[in-house]
Amino acid sequence: MARGSSLVAYAITRLFIAIPMLLILLTFVFVILRILPGDPVLALWSGRPPPPYVIEAARAQLGLDQPYWVQYVNYLRNIFTGNFGTSFGEFYRGQSVWTVIMDKFPATVELAFGGILVASVLGIGTGLIGGANRDKPVDVGVRLYGTIVWVIPIFWLGLLFQLVFGVWLQWLPPHSRWSGTDFPPRVTGMYTVDSLLAGNLGAYWKAMSHLILPSLTLGIVLSGFFTKTVRANLLRTINADYSEAARARGIHERRVVYRHAFKNALVPVVTILGLQFAILFAGAVLTETTFSWDGMGVLLLQSINSKDYMMIQGVIVFYATIIVIISLIIDVAGALIDPRIRL
Amino acid sequence: MAKRSTWIIVAAVVVVIAIVAASVYVFLLAPRNKLPVELWYNSDGHYGDTEDELATILKSSLEKTNRVQVTLKSDPWAVYRQNWVNQRMPVFLLGWYPDYFDTDDYVSPFLSTAGAASLGSFYTNSEVDALITQEQSTADPAARQTLFTQIQGKLADDVPYIPLFSGTAQAAYVSSVQNVYLHPVSFKWFIITKPGATELKGATTDKIISLDPASAYDYFSIEVINQVFDTLLVYEPIEAQLVAGLAMEVPSATNGGISADGKTYTYNLKPGITFHDGTPLTAQIVKDSIERVIRLDIAGSAAFLLYDVGALGKTPNIEVVDSDTVRFHLARPVSFFNDLMAFSVSAPVPPSYNQAGEQPSTVGSVIGTGPYRLTTHQADQLIVLEEYDEYYGGSLYASFGISKIPAVPKVSIEILGTATNLKQSIETKAVDVAYRTLNPDDLVDLQTRAQTLGLTVSLGASPQIRYLVINVNLVPDVRVRQAIAYLVDRALIDNSVFRGTVEPLYSMVPANMPYASPVFQARYGDANLNAANSILSQLGYAVPFHAEAVARDWF
Repeated sequence: MARGSSLVAYAITRLFIAIPMLLILLTFVFVILRILPGDPVLALWSGRPPPPYVIEAARAQLGLDQPYWVQYVNYLRNIFTGNFGTSFGEFYRGQSVWTVIMDKFPATVELAFGGILVASVLGIGTGLIGGANRDKPVDVGVRLYGTIVWVIPIFWLGLLFQLVFGVWLQWLPPHSRWSGTDFPPRVTGMYTVDSLLAGNLGAYWKAMSHLILPSLTLGIVLSGFFTKTVRANLLRTINADYSEAARARGIHERRVVYRHAFKNALVPVVTILGLQFAILFAGAVLTETTFSWDGMGVLLLQSINSKDYMMIQGVIVFYATIIVIISLIIDVAGALIDPRIRL
Repeated sequence: MAKRSTWIIVAAVVVVIAIVAASVYVFLLAPRNKLPVELWYNSDGHYGDTEDELATILKSSLEKTNRVQVTLKSDPWAVYRQNWVNQRMPVFLLGWYPDYFDTDDYVSPFLSTAGAASLGSFYTNSEVDALITQEQSTADPAARQTLFTQIQGKLADDVPYIPLFSGTAQAAYVSSVQNVYLHPVSFKWFIITKPGATELKGATTDKIISLDPASAYDYFSIEVINQVFDTLLVYEPIEAQLVAGLAMEVPSATNGGISADGKTYTYNLKPGITFHDGTPLTAQIVKDSIERVIRLDIAGSAAFLLYDVGALGKTPNIEVVDSDTVRFHLARPVSFFNDLMAFSVSAPVPPSYNQAGEQPSTVGSVIGTGPYRLTTHQADQLIVLEEYDEYYGGSLYASFGISKIPAVPKVSIEILGTATNLKQSIETKAVDVAYRTLNPDDLVDLQTRAQTLGLTVSLGASPQIRYLVINVNLVPDVRVRQAIAYLVDRALIDNSVFRGTVEPLYSMVPANMPYASPVFQARYGDANLNAANSILSQLGYAVPFHAEAVARDWF
């Protein structure tokens, strides 16, 4: 079989495997939400509770008086026709689930990019320094760094940054995605990208200035994991046969570390980085909350608290679809690189 | 002889050991017979960040006697609501913000049989029901005074609720800003001035749920609606007195606006009022707007205030007398109907509004008759309001010293996620006004440093009340409820949880409302351990010896 057709077959197989996975997840979420205690209809009235007949009318209006199997069939039918439904939670009632997700998702993507960028630069950099200087004072420092930042409560670090850089020094805005009313014209919903697309560098800097503190907070905490992973992998590859062979050929140690050991140490790190990135798409709840960053994490948390079935289901389906797509891309890329995977 | 002495010694030792063992058992090992109290509170911030601290302080107050054992339990709002409907919570913390500014709104929702079932106490008393029906049917102040005094007396007798404290309205603003009034009903951005400025920047931690009057039923949505929509009647700028808004005057029995039987209310519209889209306001539009609210009856909305509480019914009888006169026929007399006509749910909307469902809360879709137009709405981030040039009521508050409405042409309000962010915004002066809700610690900190920071921190009376609900089905013995009432320590709550920023509450009707009577103060006081112990002893809740000694020391 030709290489191309084999790859297509592999991708199609993976796609077909993904569909039942998604179906199982949808069913699981549907069942769990209805088993867990809490009543979204009662929660709609945050102040004076109305008389019982008003509540029952609302239940009927929202279709929640129907048997579970009818709700389930309707839910699946809607999802597979691309209809994510309408929220009936305390915070987003009456709004289209898809519209709300599309409102929040760009903020999450922007923060995920910022956080991963900081985490990878700091994590890979420190891991490399530590691994290349095993058991020297600098390595001890790197190991300490990796451990400390990994266990720092993220909200505490965020508050610290806000206080120092936002309130005391006033170098950067302490919170929010934007200040003022001059929003860039919406194209992607990511203010940094939209500012650039509009050719407005002033707006771009404003968006970036809001992104710096949350990205630093998220990135520093995440970087601890990368520091340790890169360092451990580097220690392994630095003593591998090919590194020894390079040394035997008289190649300078610096070149051995950076050209041979480091490159190979990075392979598993890139996979972890990709997965971490995908996880961040679901939102970084604590960072988002600390910085009033209006993203998917806060949305999901609020929806869970208010038992907003439609919103929770919508967010999870959306997230699961992204994960499936990313996994598929990774699998196909892996198969492209290593033909043995396709066998 | 020696043998006999030995037996006496052995007997004495046995007796001593028995006495010691019995004492150890009775005073140390015997199960303590304490009154078990399950105290519930909300865990997901429905009442702010202080709820767990409040519950902990209440627990310590109740346990001071050593005759009460409190178990704290919590749930997020959706579960909490279900718990109280399904009668799973014997004692729980709740809060109340009135819908209409009449004393009835602090009484009937709590003490009428139907209201008490909705609020989780399941209290029922036919005598109280009759008193409530009477106070709702009369506007005579003397009669209402008598009725409300009797009702509050029954509240103190039966203790289905224990009032704890009334909240404090709070705002922090830069010192150059003027006319920041902590109005008990709704914060009025349109009267705030900032000399020389064309824009006023504000921030809040509240969220907008909906800007359709037929749907909105949360504090901030209603606050924004009150800037964009006017109602037939409005509240004056400082006090909670009704004045004419879209209507020519406040209907009363004297001016013929209210019929003798109290079941018909007539409103004459001011001439020349237009919506933001240019549509003229007519009596027919007022009628259609109210009917729309009732017909849609959107889940989570305040529609039931009109058709149920306001006695308009599901098929309201609203008469268009002429293009400027509208008349409401009620199923029964409702003494506070004027207040309902000042509530956001009654705000007229133009005919272009969605008649089959909720109107979107987006720019261009929110069309009112108020002083501001909505010009920007970034969901959960920012709203911007700009002056409506054709506003009819520019001099509405002239007699109160406010010469022009709106005072500033543009107001932007940033919506923040946390109270800490709100404090940061005002501390760095990124905004001019921070309104709702600063943490008690932050509030005290800003007060302390106000002069250095160039800020003013205002505290005012808030109509919000906090209280304990006692489910009378789960705690049927009134003596147990009374014992709990004796043990509550409001000063401790104020000092420990709220750093002295709330007011103790001794009736479900707060002190600043007409007919309020602090019945719990005279009857139960605070931390009255003697009285509580006396009841608990009668109920058989003894106290171990060592604890009794400690308790005596406290007295």
